[in-house]
Amino acid sequence: MIQTARRNLSVYGAVLAMIPKQFMAYQLWFWIGLVLNVISMAILVYFWRAIYANTSTISGLAQNQTINYILFAFIFMPLTSNDLIWEFGSNLREGTIIHHLLRPINFQGMNYAQMLGGLVTRLILQVPMVVVAVLVFGLRFPTDLGTWLAFILSALLGFTVMFFFNWFLACFTFYTTEIWGLGVLVDGMTFFLSGALVPLVMMPEWVRTIVLSIPFAQALAVPVGLLTGITPLSDAPQVWFIQILWILGMWIVSTLFFRIAVRKITVQGG
Amino acid sequence: MSVIEVKQLTKVFKIPKKEPGLGGAVKGLFYPQYQNKTAVNEINFKLDAGEIVGYIGVNGAGKSTTIKMLTGVLMPTSGSIKVLGRDPHKQRVDNAHDIGVVFGQRTQLWWDLALIESLNLIAKIYNVHPVKYKLMLNQFTETLELDELLKIPVRNMSLGQKMRSELAAALIHEPRIVYLDEPTIGLDLIVKERIRDFIKAQCISKSMTVILTTHDLGDIEELCQRVIIIDDGRIIYDGPIETIKKRFGKFREITFETVEDVKVLDLPEGAEMLSTDDHKVQIRFDRTVSTASKVAGAVMNQIEVRDFSLSEPELSDIVKQIYNGALDREAR
Repeated sequence: MIQTARRNLSVYGAVLAMIPKQFMAYQLWFWIGLVLNVISMAILVYFWRAIYANTSTISGLAQNQTINYILFAFIFMPLTSNDLIWEFGSNLREGTIIHHLLRPINFQGMNYAQMLGGLVTRLILQVPMVVVAVLVFGLRFPTDLGTWLAFILSALLGFTVMFFFNWFLACFTFYTTEIWGLGVLVDGMTFFLSGALVPLVMMPEWVRTIVLSIPFAQALAVPVGLLTGITPLSDAPQVWFIQILWILGMWIVSTLFFRIAVRKITVQGG
Repeated sequence: MSVIEVKQLTKVFKIPKKEPGLGGAVKGLFYPQYQNKTAVNEINFKLDAGEIVGYIGVNGAGKSTTIKMLTGVLMPTSGSIKVLGRDPHKQRVDNAHDIGVVFGQRTQLWWDLALIESLNLIAKIYNVHPVKYKLMLNQFTETLELDELLKIPVRNMSLGQKMRSELAAALIHEPRIVYLDEPTIGLDLIVKERIRDFIKAQCISKSMTVILTTHDLGDIEELCQRVIIIDDGRIIYDGPIETIKKRFGKFREITFETVEDVKVLDLPEGAEMLSTDDHKVQIRFDRTVSTASKVAGAVMNQIEVRDFSLSEPELSDIVKQIYNGALDREAR
C-alpha cells in the first residue's frame, strides 16, 4: 500500500518535472507572450489610475492597494489555468485517451501532476513580469511571513478547486468532441469571474454573490485577497475551510461525471 | 497453458439513427432513435504463450473492437475474456502492467518531448527496474537503431522513425502480451523489414504472445504461424497459414514466353488463358482437374516456347477469395 503510494508519487514527480521541458519546446511563444503581457499589464494599471483620478478610495481601497491587487492577480493568473480542458479535448479528438486509460496508473493523479507542473512552469515564466511590475508599476511585497504562508496554502487549494472544476467541464468534451467553443468560453469567464480585473470588494453585492457561488474566484481573488491584505490574515482559516469544501464538492461531482462520461469510450467505443 | 481465452465474446454498439434533412435532425434531438450494430458476434479462441497470431479481416470486420476489448478499454456486451487469468475490463490497471499496445494510427509518446524523456517516464510508470531499463534501452537502441532518435522530439520524426519509437515504448516493460494494431501501416519496405525482424526476435527471446492486425499480408507471412480471419463480426477461419494456402490455393498460374505472337491455344480441361501480349501467355489451371505438365505439354506442342515460369499462389489472392465469400461457397 505504502509502496504503491510511493511509486505513484514518484511517477507524478516525473510527470511534473517533464512539463517545463514541454513548455520550452516553443521558445518564440515565450517572447511574444512576454511582450503581450507587458502591454496588458500597462493597460490595466493606467485604467485603474484613471478611475482613481477624482477619488482617493473606492469601497475602502486606496489606489496603491487596488493596483497592488491588480498586479498580483495578473502575476498569479496561472492559478486559474484551464489547460486541462484543452488537453482532454485533444486527447479525445486524437484518440490518445485510450493510451492513457491503458496505463497502470491513476489517470486523474497523472493529470493533476501534469497541471501542477504547468503551474510551476508558468509561475517561473512570470518572473520577468514581476520585475516589470516592481520597477515600472511600483508593486510592493508583503513583508510578513504569515501572510505569505496563508497565501501559498490558499493558492494551492484554489488551484485544486479549479483542477476539479475544469475536470468536470472537460468531461463535456466526451459528448461534444468539440473543445474550441468550450475552451474559449471558459477562458473568457475565468478572466472576468476570477477577480482578475476588479477586486471582489468593489463588486456590487449581487455580483459578488454570483462570483462567490461559482468556483473561479477561489483560485485567484481569494488567495490574492489574503496576499494583499484586503482579506485580513485572521480570516485565513475560514478561507481555507471554504476552499476545502469547494474541493470536496467539485471532486465528488467531477469524479461522478467522469465515470459516466468515460463510458462513451469504454461502452460506445469513442 | 493458454494466456488468452475468449468465449462467446460479443459487442453490440448502439448507433443513433439519423433521419435525413433538417426535420430529421430536429426530431433526432427530441426522440433519439437507436439501432443496434453487432460488431463482434460470439467469437471464441485461445492463445498460448509465445504465439504470434495474425488477426485479419476487411475494414469494419470487428478487428479493432476485439483488440480494444482484449486490452480492457472497451466493455464487452456479453461473453467472457480471460487475459492471464484476469478480466481485462474489471481489472484494467492490473492488466495494463502485463500488456503492451501499439495502435498504428495513434501515438502514445509525448509529442513535444525527446524520445528518451518519453521512454524514461514510461519506464517509471511501469515500474521497470533502473538496471533492467538501461539494459533494455541499450538493446532497443541497437536493434531499432534509435541512436539518433533519442534526442529528437516525436513531432519531428518521420513515420518510420515514429513507429520504431512506438515499438520501443510499447515493449520497454517486457509485456507478456502485445497487441499490434497495424504496426506497419504506411511504412516503406526497409522499415517494415526491420520492424518485423524486431518483433520476431522479441517474441522468440521473451516468449511474448502477439496479436497482430494488419492489412499487409507480408507481415502475416513473415511473422505468424496462425491466422484468425474475422468477417462481419464472426470468425470464419482459425488455423495455420499452410492449411489455408492448401485449401484455397487450388489455382496455379504459368507464364510462357513464346517466339511468335499467340492468339488462340487449345488447352486441356481446367485451364484457361488469362492474357496474351507481346510474346507472353498467362494461363491459369485448377490443380484438382489438371497438372502443370499437361498444360505445359499442350502449349509446347502448339508453339515454340522460349521460357516459362510457374507461380505459387499468393496469400493476398487467397485472402481476397476468402473475403469475397469463398468460405461460404465451400460450406454449401
